Amino acid sequence: MVEIVPRLLKDQLLKLAEKNDRIDGREQYQRRNVDLEVNVLTNAEGSAKVVWDGTIVYAGVKFEIRTPWPDRPTEGSLMCGAELRPVANLKYEPGPPSAESIELGRVVDRGIRESGCINMEELCIVPGEKVWGVMLDIHVMSDKGNIFDACALAGIAALKTAIVPAERFDVGDDHPLPVSKLPIMASYRKVGGRFVYDPCEEEELGGDERVHITLGDDGHVHSLQKGLKGTFSTSEFAEIFANANEQANELREMVEEKVN
Amino acid sequence: MGGYGDVELIAKDGKRLDGRLADELRPITIEVGVLPAARGSCRMTWGLNIAEVAVYGPMEAHPRKIQRPDRAVLDVRYNMAPFSTSDRIRPGYNRRSREISKVTAEALESIVMVEMFPRSKIRVEIEILCAEAGTRCCGITAAAVALADAGIPMKDMLVSVAAGKINDVVVLDLDKAEDNYGQADLPVGIMPNTEEIAFLQMDGDLSPEEFDLAMEYNMKAAKEIHKLQINALKSKYDGGVE
Repeated sequence: MVEIVPRLLKDQLLKLAEKNDRIDGREQYQRRNVDLEVNVLTNAEGSAKVVWDGTIVYAGVKFEIRTPWPDRPTEGSLMCGAELRPVANLKYEPGPPSAESIELGRVVDRGIRESGCINMEELCIVPGEKVWGVMLDIHVMSDKGNIFDACALAGIAALKTAIVPAERFDVGDDHPLPVSKLPIMASYRKVGGRFVYDPCEEEELGGDERVHITLGDDGHVHSLQKGLKGTFSTSEFAEIFANANEQANELREMVEEKVN
Repeated sequence: MGGYGDVELIAKDGKRLDGRLADELRPITIEVGVLPAARGSCRMTWGLNIAEVAVYGPMEAHPRKIQRPDRAVLDVRYNMAPFSTSDRIRPGYNRRSREISKVTAEALESIVMVEMFPRSKIRVEIEILCAEAGTRCCGITAAAVALADAGIPMKDMLVSVAAGKINDVVVLDLDKAEDNYGQADLPVGIMPNTEEIAFLQMDGDLSPEEFDLAMEYNMKAAKEIHKLQINALKSKYDGGVE
């Protein structure tokens, strides 16, 4: 994208921020419309589609049987990858995964992994020999802003609906993947000098640093990531951290409603 | 083709395992304008297959060495999502997706009026989200609709469909089991108005008579699918289906 566009956009966003307004008319901490569908892909063992306004993300879960790590002979594993393929936006180029794509995958991965929502011991089939490897792949189809939250939401919803295909691998009966918690991400972007929740495409183009917060059921924080150039104060962080809790609770209710 | 002609795929009453007749298509749905970030887009479900296609451009072609002074180039990518098949696919290009991308681009270049956009590039991104035999046909058919949705001038639509042979019988639109245990597969891309062929592949074993029958099935099916393409576009641009 040509540098001059974000410059002009930045001015506009600053003027709007002074009036406590946003480019799409939302309030500072107002979310866009979010829709979640589960079990949308027949060949995935668990799947979800998130339509977060114009941002569209699919997540699919696959399983494999592998040998456990030598230092953790009774634990299965989780692998989480996100792909920012050129289908999602004009700005994404074909080629090996970009740094942005890898960051996205790793931030989503940490939120899910560190929440402890999957008990890895329960993924053991034969200690030291056979364990389940859970592979969560997230596919961004349309990026109109805030893909992080959309990816995290699709990811946890897909895991929550996943069925371990034990029969196909001849190791017992199919059973649901035990997922005991629902970690939810809330992302903020510094736009016109203050943080806003759920940035849209223009706010990402003309904004500064971003902060991603993943919270567990009990309000405990499981992953944080600050991205891009820019700084913020501890009181600014305290404000968005408090807000993240509200946002996460609302989205968690949505997941619970859809998967049950 | 697996080539295992001895697996029973057609019941005594002449119906296939999923209850279809020899010249019957799987259920198809087509929807346009489904990906807000793209200039044109299409979602197609074909049996259990799901393809979503985004079109970007025309835009400046870079790197410059790919530019053509007299026409646009089509930059087509066919990609299967990691979770689209029963065994996970490692992300990234492989030989199969490269070949399909290439033949798809060449088929689409035959219908797009590329000479209207010299030095430019049109990006076509085909993502297969669920694969159950026939994804290249699904991708090409959806890509043609997405190009139309993007307002790219075209000489005709393009419909891709396959016929094949199972248990020595010519059938239309092979599903997963039929593809795995069948004897032949003949995917074609047909321009429905002129009946010209813009895409053609085949593998397996067909007699000249079987080939003719397979082509006849394909031609008939192309007309049927073409109606669905047009209806999908009309429901977005013309306020509803005829």
